[in-house]
Amino acid sequence: MALRTTAAVLVGRAVRVAARLRGGGSAIPGNIALKIDPGFLERTIARIPDGVVAVSGSNGKSTTTNMLAAIIRAHGLKVFTNPSGGNLPQGIASALLSEVSTSGRLDSDIAILEVDEGYGTRLAELLKPRTVLLLNIQIDQLNRYHEPDRVAVMLGRVAAASTDGLILNREDNFLVDLDTRIPGRPGRAVSFFGGVPSLVDGASHGVASADRFGDVGAEPGSRPAAVEVIALDGARATLSIEAAALPAGSPVADAPAAQRTEIQVKLPARGMHYALDAAGAAAAARSVLGDRFRPELVSQALDSLETVYGRGELLEVDGEQIEIIMMKNPASLQLNLDSLESAPEQVFLAVDEGTPDPAWIYDIDFSALDHVDGITGSKAWQFAVRFGYLDIPVGSVDLDVRKALKEFLARPKPATGHKVMILNYEQMMLIRKILGFKELEGGGAA
Amino acid sequence: MSGTPVTDALRILHLFPRLLGLNGESGNVEILRLRAEWRGLPVEITTYDGGAPQSFDDADLVFIGSGPVSAELLAHPLVVAIAPELKALAADGRPFLAIGAGFQLLGERITLEGGEVLEGAGVFPVTTRHGGTRVVGDFVLESPRLGPVVGFENRGSFVDVGPHGTLGRVVYGRGNTETPGEEGFWEDNLLGTHMHGPILANNPILADSLLDTARARRGLEYTTPDPGELRTIDERARHARGTIAAAPLSE
Ligand SMILES: [Zn+2]
Repeated sequence: MALRTTAAVLVGRAVRVAARLRGGGSAIPGNIALKIDPGFLERTIARIPDGVVAVSGSNGKSTTTNMLAAIIRAHGLKVFTNPSGGNLPQGIASALLSEVSTSGRLDSDIAILEVDEGYGTRLAELLKPRTVLLLNIQIDQLNRYHEPDRVAVMLGRVAAASTDGLILNREDNFLVDLDTRIPGRPGRAVSFFGGVPSLVDGASHGVASADRFGDVGAEPGSRPAAVEVIALDGARATLSIEAAALPAGSPVADAPAAQRTEIQVKLPARGMHYALDAAGAAAAARSVLGDRFRPELVSQALDSLETVYGRGELLEVDGEQIEIIMMKNPASLQLNLDSLESAPEQVFLAVDEGTPDPAWIYDIDFSALDHVDGITGSKAWQFAVRFGYLDIPVGSVDLDVRKALKEFLARPKPATGHKVMILNYEQMMLIRKILGFKELEGGGAA
Repeated sequence: MSGTPVTDALRILHLFPRLLGLNGESGNVEILRLRAEWRGLPVEITTYDGGAPQSFDDADLVFIGSGPVSAELLAHPLVVAIAPELKALAADGRPFLAIGAGFQLLGERITLEGGEVLEGAGVFPVTTRHGGTRVVGDFVLESPRLGPVVGFENRGSFVDVGPHGTLGRVVYGRGNTETPGEEGFWEDNLLGTHMHGPILANNPILADSLLDTARARRGLEYTTPDPGELRTIDERARHARGTIAAAPLSE
């Protein structure tokens, strides 16, 4: 058993080094390690003293996991986490490989793991999360999950696995009453995060939660929030945080009004969705840490965070800043378009079969754009048709990504703002590679 | 929205846009409207999401889209409640475009995965059986009337159209039955399919065919039959069909 673990760790690590040199494919080493020692992930994770916090949902997983890890670290705990996008078993195993000793031991107090909603059930069995934070259920990857209702069922199973804490977004049509639709568990504390109605309704496309039909138990927004976004000013938000539940039997446990603290936090970029991500991270930290939780450390942690790439990231190419807008799904694209200050002077779009059915572009409000300079990727013509019906001029369509990219980058710097590239995940990876950015799956400064 | 209705406008009835509009399918209605308006024919769109009964007698063209099974079950009694009106419109030659769950609900019968049977509106002489492997992927058909028809398929059901006409022969994808063969239903003024999403975006000829049927019944003419913006869009759609048909993919 121990020998097998050592073999898994060593071989996995060697593959990892090789994969990095080639510039990609970070799930491969984890995959190999799991083949050599199938119990590697489960056993290593089970030894972590403060257990696992699982973060899942359609959108914002990486950002929120990154925020939560920073907040918990600011409280003095050693955190193991998976990098952005490495949210399948292989990805988590790959992340473990870089941190365990050859005997398979991990020097961490707690694991904070982004979990893919599609693998939620399997990962919940494997990871046995004590705490689960669920962010939202949006129209996401319908080709993969077919219906939002199915995503709701999958996330319900993840939620049901939590033993100590369950933290839910009360603004989400499906999550607002998820706790009442799963088996209860004594000792599980359920708490919510959200925003004041003026901010939630005012976000130009709401918070883009998927429609829910039938069997609606509670209206979104109707649950009391432990952490609430009460103000938003550019990339700063004010959170109102309810004091953590006091241990049973303490003298003020039945005080009528819970005490609340207001803190200011820095967000990765403008947008109510980021403020809700921060509120979710704060609420999860509060649930995990109990009376050790200090609201002021949330501000400190978020102030020091770097942006997780792919969402409003700036790439520097030949001395010019280029903004990347990732088109992960309709909701993220809409929110990112809405957060543009004005129509960008130069816009490039690249979408390929990583987005198999871009039908949803007919539900997107593209009014943030007044033209598109170039479109590439195998779905380019479908976007060109859409822009035609929207009367948004299209400069050129060229399925040759390298050529199209080269042409776009050759344009003189815009007079105001910077060049903007709207990319699906696969095209973002490809274009980063073309431009010579090596660390393909690293992402998100810790 | 207010004032006197334009009497020479083409009137599109969009059924259940909220319940049945999961896959960007409202794009079909927008495309129909723009293709008529850019040619100088005004369009009025009426939506119906259930609720107070209303007269659909004015509708020149009827569209109903798709949605998840949960939405299909909710839409079912609402569709059945207006079945007589819809059957009258169909019998009077008004064109229908029905997609996915909307197509199923306008059929005669739906057998759900658990065996329960729902009676449909009976507009289309077809029956649906839920279950089997779900197919998700590019969808390429060859239509005897239109040539290649290209889009996306995402379904977990089978449709029996009996001896009736179809939209086309399946070139890539599954279609109505377990064994790939034919897709959808198309006879006279009735077109139903599981080609999801904005089918009319990739296949503008289908949009024009529906509009022509509607216009012919009303005797409405285009003032600018061939505007430049549509020529540009149709050229792009031709490239989109070509790209998909050249390398179709599925799960
Ligand atoms: Zn430009």
